[in-house]
Amino acid sequence: MHITGHLASGPGFVPPSTTDFKLPSIFGHSDYATKPVVLVFFSVIVISLFFILASRKAAVVPSKLQFAGESIYSFVRKDLGQEIIGAGFLDYVPFLFTLFVFVLVNNLFGIIPLIQFPTMSHVSFPYVLAIFTFVIFHAVGIKRQGLVKYLKGIAFLPGVPKFAYILLTPIEIATYFLIRPVTLSLRLFANMFAGHLLLLVFIGGGNYMLHDTHLFMKILSPFSFGFGIVMTFFEFMVQCLQAYIITLLSALFIAGALVEEH
Amino acid sequence: MASNNEEGALWSIMGYLISGLLIWGGIGFALDHWLHTHHYFFLGGLLLGAGASIYLVWLRFGRE
Amino acid sequence: MHGTLNLVGYGLSAIGPAIATGLIFAAYINGVARQPESRNVLQPIAFLGFALAEALALFGLVLAFVLK
Repeated sequence: MHITGHLASGPGFVPPSTTDFKLPSIFGHSDYATKPVVLVFFSVIVISLFFILASRKAAVVPSKLQFAGESIYSFVRKDLGQEIIGAGFLDYVPFLFTLFVFVLVNNLFGIIPLIQFPTMSHVSFPYVLAIFTFVIFHAVGIKRQGLVKYLKGIAFLPGVPKFAYILLTPIEIATYFLIRPVTLSLRLFANMFAGHLLLLVFIGGGNYMLHDTHLFMKILSPFSFGFGIVMTFFEFMVQCLQAYIITLLSALFIAGALVEEH
Repeated sequence: MASNNEEGALWSIMGYLISGLLIWGGIGFALDHWLHTHHYFFLGGLLLGAGASIYLVWLRFGRE
Repeated sequence: MHGTLNLVGYGLSAIGPAIATGLIFAAYINGVARQPESRNVLQPIAFLGFALAEALALFGLVLAFVLK
């Protein structure tokens, strides 16, 4: 694997680029065994183990583990389910909870030592999550209101002069069927991608400066490493926030499909 | 759309603006390509799309 | 060095909408903090102002990518 900013990579500093995201296969030459894929399976195992252990010995007076598991669950259930979806929110809590925890753990892989690769910085994973949300909120809307009424509610806003529909209907349809899933996935992807690049710049830059022949550069390299550490904490914040936002927006889309347009 | 949630409302406003510009700007771009004009339809389409999506935002979130 | 100056121009033009959005929400938060019941009146105004400022930013983005 090529190390960003290392002296061996040629004269001058080589800034990190998209090639740093193309990781080689772990087992053999299969495309299905790269680091992100393995990390996704690993995250599923970690999440399952954590919540099975947390809920196995459920007691009235919770243990520390049970408390941790329950506070994550009740956060999603209260703040994202009950507050936003309202009546009948319990049907959607399993999806929202799975989405939140899955994205959170996969994002946090970006700063956990030895792993240090956010799975969601490969755009195909957020796409799949957005497709799940897309299918679910349209299915909920169609089931609740009926196909024709649901599509009519999307395409034709009431209380508008007739000629304005020529302008507005394409925008509404594009928003619901194209822009919503695309922005949902791209927001998560772009944040994780940019965050990983940012860390690569500072750590790789520090590494390059430390190996430079000038003493001045060697002395300055701790600042680059130090800023890398600061950015790691910043990334922690961004990763939690992005997991929250994708779940919040999914809940809002479901809530929007449940409410009949008036 | 639950307009009592400000964060969701802001993201969906951005969604409307993007799709307005994309759709009408795209139609203008296609017309330019087809009629061999230089960006006139594209710029007009962008203005139309921006206007239409701001009107849509007003309809959704402005009139309470 | 290679690339296009359009993106530098877009970066400069994005400063305006950024400041505008900041001012709009600063005023909105101030208003709601002083008088919480005015929220329902102020919210649509703030959202419309946000939409106008954001439309300009997105306009610049599209033009930066398309115009040669």
